[in-house]
Amino acid sequence: MVDIIPEIKKITPTWWEFKWKEEPSKSLLQKRVLIKNWLVAHYQDELAEIRQGYQCISVIWKNPPGKDFEVIFPTNLPSQRVDEKTWQIPVCYGGEFGKDLDRICEIKGISPTELIELHSNPIYRLEFYGFLPGFMYLSGLQNSLKTPRKEFPDRTVKAGSVGIGGNQTGIYPFESPGGWHLIGRTPITVFSPEENPPANPQIGDRIQFVPISKEEFEFILQNSPKLKPL
Amino acid sequence: MTKPQAFIEVIKTGPGTKIRDIGRKNYAEFGVPPSGPLDPKAVFWINHLLKNKEEDAVLEINQPGLKLQFHDSAIICLAGAKAEITINGKTTYSSGLQIIPEGSLLEVGKFELGSILYLGIQNGFQTPIRLGSRSYSLGITEKEFVKAGDTLPFIKQPTIIDYLSNSRVKWNQDYLKQEKIRAYPGPEFDLLRESQQEQLRTSYFSISNLKNGMAVQLEELVPNELGSIYTAPVFPGTVQLTHGGKLICLLSDAQVTGGYPRVLQIHEDDLGVLAQKKPKEKIQFQLIEDFL
Repeated sequence: MVDIIPEIKKITPTWWEFKWKEEPSKSLLQKRVLIKNWLVAHYQDELAEIRQGYQCISVIWKNPPGKDFEVIFPTNLPSQRVDEKTWQIPVCYGGEFGKDLDRICEIKGISPTELIELHSNPIYRLEFYGFLPGFMYLSGLQNSLKTPRKEFPDRTVKAGSVGIGGNQTGIYPFESPGGWHLIGRTPITVFSPEENPPANPQIGDRIQFVPISKEEFEFILQNSPKLKPL
Repeated sequence: MTKPQAFIEVIKTGPGTKIRDIGRKNYAEFGVPPSGPLDPKAVFWINHLLKNKEEDAVLEINQPGLKLQFHDSAIICLAGAKAEITINGKTTYSSGLQIIPEGSLLEVGKFELGSILYLGIQNGFQTPIRLGSRSYSLGITEKEFVKAGDTLPFIKQPTIIDYLSNSRVKWNQDYLKQEKIRAYPGPEFDLLRESQQEQLRTSYFSISNLKNGMAVQLEELVPNELGSIYTAPVFPGTVQLTHGGKLICLLSDAQVTGGYPRVLQIHEDDLGVLAQKKPKEKIQFQLIEDFL
């Protein structure tokens, strides 16, 4: 059971942090999203910015709140969001798109088919964006796939590469250096700075990886490399 | 109304040169850093003198060796660091308004005081807007840095208006010598032992060579047993403490979340002072612990 009401810590006159002590979990994520939505609905005009981490919500007020100002959360928040979406991300695993897949299979003592199943079966949750613009922190990686990051990061990782780093999996939104083990690539564009919003999945949404062939990869790349909800 | 575009050609530049404006405010939830200017006061002053809008874009220069060829005449304004500036070989001031005749060559030499120089232009640079800002940023704008051979567009003015009434206003460079950096205890400050907190309150720290638009790393270590935290929000001005005891002061291009304990939050008015420091220069944090 996760306490719905977080602790409030005032870091600076304009930065307050709302924090839970519980270990990250699906239920903590749900509560964080509910509290975040409530904050946005109630303080839209006062808020300059909101950022989230696994256990906390950081709020930046436009102006320092007065001494008497308090945030009192309601105790009767709904227990679940109703507008959660599921996003399917096609991935071509292995080969030229996932150059580290064979090595991970070797370390884990499993076949590529098993690895692909282990990676594409779970439903992941978008915890928050960070590290790079459009980079999704996803929770839900199978314990058996956890792999420490590379000792020597790759100088360039192609856009759309799907990797495993520690207990996380994620998609590189654009070409950049990276230290995760690359197991596949999606032809879909997950982040477009020319568009507003630049990315569509919302914090708390479900993310699924769907294995595709190289032909399907090329086909999607030529046609509609955009992410659509299920 | 489309105005005729004019260009500055970049003949030569050191690393780290960027186009900057006040940055992207509303996209941190998508992992997009603000990428505002590292020394916002200097940019504000420049745009004010040029009678520009507050959000007009300027050039941020961190290294000597910049050479700009003005293919059209322009009114520019400089501020920030004190540096050697020549126009067509003739030494001039590194702050204030300048009228640049067509065909001129502007060169930036040694930085005497401070480490970031801004060059603003009448109506601002006209590079593309992405997510509400022209600030160069990895993954957002086509370019992350200004490179030799680039052309920087601006709007050619049909007439040169009387700007020179402002020309004697002085850019006060005293802040470039300031050593005190005001900071609030960060979210994880309480997890530090008393002696470590005391070190942050009283010790002098020096700027290391590891410095760019994302962060400034300090030289002296703060040995600690904290380990990692669950990835949490960070902001420009957040000071992270690594397992190895390194202090990393985040700047405006930093990622929006991080996994190191956040031990300090630098006062926003002093972040530009820190960003202007050169390697080996000293700072001392001045903690604000009773603002509530």
